[in-house]
Amino acid sequence: MDSKDPSAQFASSVADSSADRRRMERRVGPPVRIQRSPGRRASDRKLPSSIMTPPGPPPAPHLDDYRDIVGQSNIDILRFLARDLKGKTIKMVNSTAVGGGVAEMLNRLIPLLTELEVRTHWDVITGGNDFFEVTKAFHNALHGASYELTKAAKNVFLMYNEQNRERLRFDEQMVVIHDPQPLPLVLSRDKHPAHWVWRCHIDLSNPNESVWEFLRPFVEQYDAAIFSSQSFARQLPLPQYLFYPCIDPLSEKNKELTEEQIQKVCDEFGIDRARPIVTQVSRFDRLKDPVGVVQAYKLAKKYVDCQLVLAGGGATDDPEGAAVLNEVKEAAGDDPDIIILDLPPWCAFEINAIQRASTIIVQKSLKEGFGLTVTEALWKGKPTIAGAVGGIPNQIIHKLTGVLVHSVEGCAFQIRYLLTHPEFARTIGLNGREHVKENFLMTADVKRWLLLLRFLEEGKERRRKTA
Amino acid sequence: MPVNGQRPVRKPKKPFYFNTSEHLLRIGRQKASNLAELLKAIETCPDDSIFQHTFRTLQEHHFIRQGFSNDFAHWTLSAVNEPALAEQLASVDVREFTAIEGLRCRMVEIVNQFLQSHAKSGAHPAHEPFYFCASDLVVLPTKFAPDTLNGFLEGIKQVSVHSIHHHFIEARLRLRRMSNDFSVWLEEEAGLMDAAEAIERIDIYANTLEGVRRQIASVVSEAMN
Repeated sequence: MDSKDPSAQFASSVADSSADRRRMERRVGPPVRIQRSPGRRASDRKLPSSIMTPPGPPPAPHLDDYRDIVGQSNIDILRFLARDLKGKTIKMVNSTAVGGGVAEMLNRLIPLLTELEVRTHWDVITGGNDFFEVTKAFHNALHGASYELTKAAKNVFLMYNEQNRERLRFDEQMVVIHDPQPLPLVLSRDKHPAHWVWRCHIDLSNPNESVWEFLRPFVEQYDAAIFSSQSFARQLPLPQYLFYPCIDPLSEKNKELTEEQIQKVCDEFGIDRARPIVTQVSRFDRLKDPVGVVQAYKLAKKYVDCQLVLAGGGATDDPEGAAVLNEVKEAAGDDPDIIILDLPPWCAFEINAIQRASTIIVQKSLKEGFGLTVTEALWKGKPTIAGAVGGIPNQIIHKLTGVLVHSVEGCAFQIRYLLTHPEFARTIGLNGREHVKENFLMTADVKRWLLLLRFLEEGKERRRKTA
Repeated sequence: MPVNGQRPVRKPKKPFYFNTSEHLLRIGRQKASNLAELLKAIETCPDDSIFQHTFRTLQEHHFIRQGFSNDFAHWTLSAVNEPALAEQLASVDVREFTAIEGLRCRMVEIVNQFLQSHAKSGAHPAHEPFYFCASDLVVLPTKFAPDTLNGFLEGIKQVSVHSIHHHFIEARLRLRRMSNDFSVWLEEEAGLMDAAEAIERIDIYANTLEGVRRQIASVVSEAMN
């Protein structure tokens, strides 16, 4: 996709892909499952009609829409930064136009950069099933999974990248390649002397060595690499920058809601707002440790009254997700205060309302990327308890912007502590929101891209003068 | 904040140009997995890494009231569990230094002394490594360039906290003197020596940067009246 109109691209990429629409339609089929007490099972009650159909894409926000959130001075800084870059262009290249955090982020970022007159184009590489099977395996291997790298896999990877290299043009000042799938596109840099930047969204701290050694020569040809956490980076002979993933405060998932909207969602799901609500929002995935959250809740419940809401998805179209959901139900037993919600992927508004209704939010992950659900919780000013893994310690400074835990028992204690110390809970909630405002909002991401382009251009100018 | 014995206010000759600094965080090459490695890395890392983990981290965490001081102190407590050393490192006030080298030496001295009296602590593995980072920095103008005290006060109230940090905290490294841009301008251009001194005494560690902003505004306002 090479869009000249980012707003149109935003709209089309969210829902207009027919494949995506079909996928969404398929997902409408299975009912949203709510489980509470045996006497009040979700399957017995009428499901909220509001979540049965995916909503249409909202319009892309403008820069001024963020003014009330981040302040005029921060918007002014973006305009100052962009003024010197006026007319420069950026190309973003990734492997999917729809679905996944990268596409979601680009859909928000590109209109804002373009509004600042730094025109940003977006291309998506193409490939057959064999290509995406190989890149999926590479992805898992880079996360540390064992994998035998074959010559055939290398050939498939290189062949499709070669095809994409012939198809794509790179006439912009900065070319940003997202993730490992399109890495070899950098071989075009001789013909296209842009600033080539690799934006790696995955954790490379413990990669499968054979895959990493195969990819490393491509990475080393870039001018700079960007990681989401210091701990995800590798030793490389090029500058490495830290760009935190960001959330959009104006998205359905994060926008402000009225008391009535929150109450309506809670009523639909049977959540009692008169009593403390402890919530974890995440896919039913063992690495998110939902069973551990149930165990922590049960330990805490001996001392404090509360409900547990586990809101997530992934159980409908993922066999492992379904198995994890069953494990969670088994662990929950017949406790009427445990509410398990298996939601379709478009329920951002409902997730937003549930997070806002919560007294405490938990993200007890055993392994994590950056952990944007933590960012969302902090943005809503919620006291947050999270596992000290992946990028979470970048967000949660222990006892200042949230609390970090390492065990079920630790999580249980923090639930008890925060529910019985509301002033402390309120303080870390407020700090957490400020931390997000400063570092993890879309406007901060825009600023980082502008700064990077500026520094790369200045470096080029210095080299030119020296030469 | 008392502002007594004030000399008469005079019309500033030069405007105060409110600037701001923006940073892009770079991941450094060094990391430390225990206190001995931290000491070695502090001794050898580039100046901009020391700047990042002391001056700059204050700006990043400007909203925390409960005493966020510097990354070395925070890591020593949270990852190495050495509260006594963490307290010593946290007590280092960046505003006592007009050059990074002095600040580096102070940090090295503290860690070194601790390890001499707690030899076993040096190799004790941290829960998570300390990753050294640094910043690429750019100074940008803002729309505020007042040449009156009223305009100056308005600028103080409206610029971003990054601008406050730039003029009030980072300025020492630029000026190479124990002062800040606000105090220098108030003293040299408006003759407000007591106000300048009062601003210099504001405690950045017991305040958020918003709190610092409010106190500066209060001092200027009082001096004008």
